[in-house]
Amino acid sequence: MAFEYEKYLRMDKIPHLWCPGCGIGVVLKAMLRSVENVGWEKNDIAFVSGIGCTSRAPGYIDCNTLHTTHGRALSFATGIKLAQPAKHVVIFSGDGDATAIGGNHFIHACRRNIDMTLVVVNNNTYGMTGGQHSPTTPIGYKASTTVYGNIDPTFDICLLAKAAGASYVARATVNKGKMLEKYITKGFEHKGFSVIVATANCHTQFGRKNKMSDPISVRKWIESREIPIEKARTMKAAELNDKIITGEFITHEEETTWWENYNHPIHEYTEAYQTIRDKAQERK
Amino acid sequence: MSEKINIPDHYSKWESDVKIGKKDDHVTIGYWRDGCKGCGICVDVCPKQVWELIEAKDKWNGQVVQVTDASKCIKCMLCEIHCPDFCIKIY
Repeated sequence: MAFEYEKYLRMDKIPHLWCPGCGIGVVLKAMLRSVENVGWEKNDIAFVSGIGCTSRAPGYIDCNTLHTTHGRALSFATGIKLAQPAKHVVIFSGDGDATAIGGNHFIHACRRNIDMTLVVVNNNTYGMTGGQHSPTTPIGYKASTTVYGNIDPTFDICLLAKAAGASYVARATVNKGKMLEKYITKGFEHKGFSVIVATANCHTQFGRKNKMSDPISVRKWIESREIPIEKARTMKAAELNDKIITGEFITHEEETTWWENYNHPIHEYTEAYQTIRDKAQERK
Repeated sequence: MSEKINIPDHYSKWESDVKIGKKDDHVTIGYWRDGCKGCGICVDVCPKQVWELIEAKDKWNGQVVQVTDASKCIKCMLCEIHCPDFCIKIY
């Protein structure tokens, strides 16, 4: 049974401007299926994005959408959530938008554990501005600003979010559309800040400079580096260089060990904010 | 057929009776050629070689896809899930 994407899209804007074979389309589709899975009304959802290839996505979704400044999508989203706690706020962000320009906003949104969902599409480069290296470009790979190969170590966005205090963190790749859908659905249902990282292909900017100029070869390259988290736990650190660990990093749903749960959030932010509101009302 | 088929008119359609496991079923594949950018992901992900690339002068890399044989389809939905351009519908 085909999924009716037309229900959630502004069809006059389709076909979208992303390159042929771009992984962002796959992530967007997974997200729309997840919205259907949790059964939210279109009017109750606010999609927020910053600047970048990924951040074009809310332009195609027929909900309440907000296209904001570079890296500040999470700040605007926090504002929406505090003003209207009943709305479901979803942020669609790229790797540069979330971890480089908006890195500070990212870790502080994780720290607050505010009830929002952040979908980070990690395509290993700044696609829109011409393929400069981003905090997630792997070591040794070329970008337009690292023509002899990148030497900067990369961010692991999942571990960063987990350490900063996000209460649901998962990663999947574009090769596993169903897995993405499952994790985004869980992120939507989770109460607290949830981060879902989708590793996507950028063959136009990243692949072209690394001898993978078509979408299939970048997808194959991503697939060859995928390691499920259960398997990764048994492997040595040196073996995990240049690998993409997929799976759920933190869920806070079941009994977890101290190490898994060491940064357990004390409360959800909108609820805590409501107590402050109540106290201020009493004082009047 | 129990499920409602909702493929817009501007989609090309292929229909066939298929056997999925031991059950008889019917498949309708809808494909929007104007929206397709010819990336070839559906050809790559399909486990049954239902799709094939053909030449098309009006596309960026000179190719689009078409259905070779709809009766091979097993309704795994991989092409529909992985098409980034909202061009494939399978019922």
